[in-house]
Amino acid sequence: MTGRLWPRGLRARLLVAVVLVTVLGAAAAAWSSARSARNALVTSTQQRLTAAVAGQIGAITPQLTYPPDQGALDRLRAAVGVHTLVTYRGLRSADGTGVEPVTGALRSAVRARNRLVTQRITAQGRPWLLIGTPIVITAPDGARTPSGIEVYTARDLSGVERQVDGLARSAAGTAALALPLAALLALLAARSVLRPVRELRDTARRLAAGDLGARSPPQGADELAELTVTVNEMADSLQASMAAMRKMQADAKRFAADASHELRTPLSTLAAVVDVLAAAADGMEPDARESSQLAISETHRLVRLVEDLMEVSRFDAGTARLRVDEVDVAGALRDCLRARGWLDRVELEAPDGLLLRLDRRRLDVIVANLVGNALRHGEPPVRVHVSASGDQVRIQVTDGGPGVPEHVLPHVFDRFFKADAARTRTPGSGLGLAIVLENVHLHGGDITAGNADGGGARFTVRLPRDVEDR
Amino acid sequence: MAAILLIEDDPLLRRGLQLALRGHGHDVRTADTGEDGLREMRSSPPDLVVLDLMLPGIDGLEVCRRIRSAGRVPVIILTGRADDFDVVGGLEAGADDYVVKPAQPTVLDARIRAVLRRSVGDPDGVRAHRDLRIDTAALTVSLRGEPVLLTPTELRLLLTLSRAPGRVFSRQRLLEEVWEHDYLGDSRLVDNCVQRLRAKVEADPSSPEYVQTVRGFGYRFGPV
Amino acid sequence: MKRIWPVLAVLLLTACGIQPSGVTGGGEAPTGVTRGVTLYFIDAHGDLTPRLRRTDHLGTIPEAMELLLWGPGESSLRTEIAPVTPKRVVVTSTAGVILLRVPFTAQDVTPLGIDQIVCTALAVHVQGGGPRGMKVRIGFTQDTPESGKQRTCPLIK
Repeated sequence: MTGRLWPRGLRARLLVAVVLVTVLGAAAAAWSSARSARNALVTSTQQRLTAAVAGQIGAITPQLTYPPDQGALDRLRAAVGVHTLVTYRGLRSADGTGVEPVTGALRSAVRARNRLVTQRITAQGRPWLLIGTPIVITAPDGARTPSGIEVYTARDLSGVERQVDGLARSAAGTAALALPLAALLALLAARSVLRPVRELRDTARRLAAGDLGARSPPQGADELAELTVTVNEMADSLQASMAAMRKMQADAKRFAADASHELRTPLSTLAAVVDVLAAAADGMEPDARESSQLAISETHRLVRLVEDLMEVSRFDAGTARLRVDEVDVAGALRDCLRARGWLDRVELEAPDGLLLRLDRRRLDVIVANLVGNALRHGEPPVRVHVSASGDQVRIQVTDGGPGVPEHVLPHVFDRFFKADAARTRTPGSGLGLAIVLENVHLHGGDITAGNADGGGARFTVRLPRDVEDR
Repeated sequence: MAAILLIEDDPLLRRGLQLALRGHGHDVRTADTGEDGLREMRSSPPDLVVLDLMLPGIDGLEVCRRIRSAGRVPVIILTGRADDFDVVGGLEAGADDYVVKPAQPTVLDARIRAVLRRSVGDPDGVRAHRDLRIDTAALTVSLRGEPVLLTPTELRLLLTLSRAPGRVFSRQRLLEEVWEHDYLGDSRLVDNCVQRLRAKVEADPSSPEYVQTVRGFGYRFGPV
Repeated sequence: MKRIWPVLAVLLLTACGIQPSGVTGGGEAPTGVTRGVTLYFIDAHGDLTPRLRRTDHLGTIPEAMELLLWGPGESSLRTEIAPVTPKRVVVTSTAGVILLRVPFTAQDVTPLGIDQIVCTALAVHVQGGGPRGMKVRIGFTQDTPESGKQRTCPLIK
């Protein structure tokens, strides 16, 4: 089966197969009927010709001198017609023009059987019927003895062949007539087969696109219906496991939200108490003072962690909202750095007078996290570079450190992701970059993490110039 | 030293905040329900109320509304959630400022002091604009001779704006000057306070005469 | 798939045209040649007996009848048909019956003479290839019940 000759499409293949089978069937039927018609035609023609020859001979024999002389043989030959040979012992009728009407097989059959025999041959490009017969002497009591006279004659079968050819042509025509009918049937069959296939394909496509509710109703009880049922079952189990996974995810998120919510009141109490403790720490014993200082700093860390958790929960719950204001980017970034005492440790490059409509607090969160990250994990110089182009603003935060390892890059925005175990006690909550990512997305922007040519880590934030309220 | 009423249902937080605020030099009384708090207010009005919004019985928003309708005592709300719903609700109920839990006592103290600070700069006599008279020394306001009762925050907003009539103040600037917030203040504080102020001094708050909106920038006083 | 096309082509070719064949039987050989005509006469014992008259060919029934009517000639045989002139017999063949119209009456011939006529006619008929079960009816010049009889030859069964 060569791929080039065999069409690819299911419809075309079905069409070709059905047409082939139908036409072959029609051709076979036409062929066999043509064959039996031919056989009947040839047989009846042979019988007619044989009877005619026997009649011709029988009509002249009573007048024929016996034993015959040359003249008698010639008369007999003339009576039977052209292409005829009559022999008697050593005598032969005069040679006529035309086909030699005798073969060795025919002659020996005539002598052996002592009856009239026939044979078909092809001579001069035409089919011939050879008829050979002895002439017998019949006694009055019916006993038959050979007379020694043998008659051989040939009869042209071209006319019969033309009739047979006509039969074959009409058979071929019949087979050809089946062609359009077969094509039509094949198209109908293909449609009935392909419709469920197409439905199945559409369903599979919808499933692949994420519509897990997509099903196709199985029709009938064939292999295609079984396949449809199987696909539906697959979709069912997929849907069920997806639903279970979503529920688990939602449960986990709700748990984080609930836990952080529940932590707030005790944390507020703690914060209030360590505030008092801090004021009294100076008068304490050294050990007690150190202990209270640890309590204070860890409480502040807890507060930050819970605040970050709550922020993430708001994104998860979809309750985070943008409060868009007209913001002078350079000023906002300078304020952000100044508020955290980073102005002298960070190089800020931002065009003056660049006004953007965005959420000022969220911009602060984004930049503070990125810069804080660079200061903690990277090395100086830490740079913040702002550039505007078209409808986008690009904020790039780079540091002079060793950069982020390649295998870590895809995970830097994951929650609680720590690049290495040694860093588990960094002051960050582990949620900073995740919160940055959510804030950037909330603005309709994007953020990429990579390494600068010089080796340092580089975070690039792209924000649309005009953020819509959402 | 200010007299503060803390309305908080959680006993430990109530006690902790009381200790911390006392450490910052405030005289703190406490109440564990809204009803209690309102009773407490009637018996002896404090300088300021710190109010948890999540309360059993009548909820914090309702308490806030009743305090506001009863007088000019400033209110700082403690919101359990920083959800917009709570913050906006609290501001609309008349709160002067808010602090999100877990609350840092230093932050709370700073907010309290800012809200209680009534004056802005040195008094410069009486500013009269049409029917509106603002006495910067006595810190009183009258409209067509009638005294207008403003909360400390409202008064401070009006004083700030009227100090330079016609000049535009951004919300950020107003947050820093009136609320003494850092550069990340919530501009909804300003918008809410402006609305309340308009309701008290404008003849038609929907087309204001004294406190005008400059779209995209902020607010200005007049020009009258 | 590739192998099916030559098979198809052969099948289609054999469907059309007439193919040569071997030798097949085509029926009885023709007959009719003979050295002479068999005439039936009566021998010395009064029995019907065949006698070959050399003519080198079979000829027709009227010819044989004429030879019979001429008599046995110089021999020990005799005929029981009265001599008549002319010796012309008209032959009409219908299905299964040969009708001979003889130029004499029933009185001119004995039963043995009738057998002579019937046997001679049947012998010619059989030697010319005809079936042996043929009946013979003799039509005399005078219509008698004898004319209606269908007869067979006692020597040709």
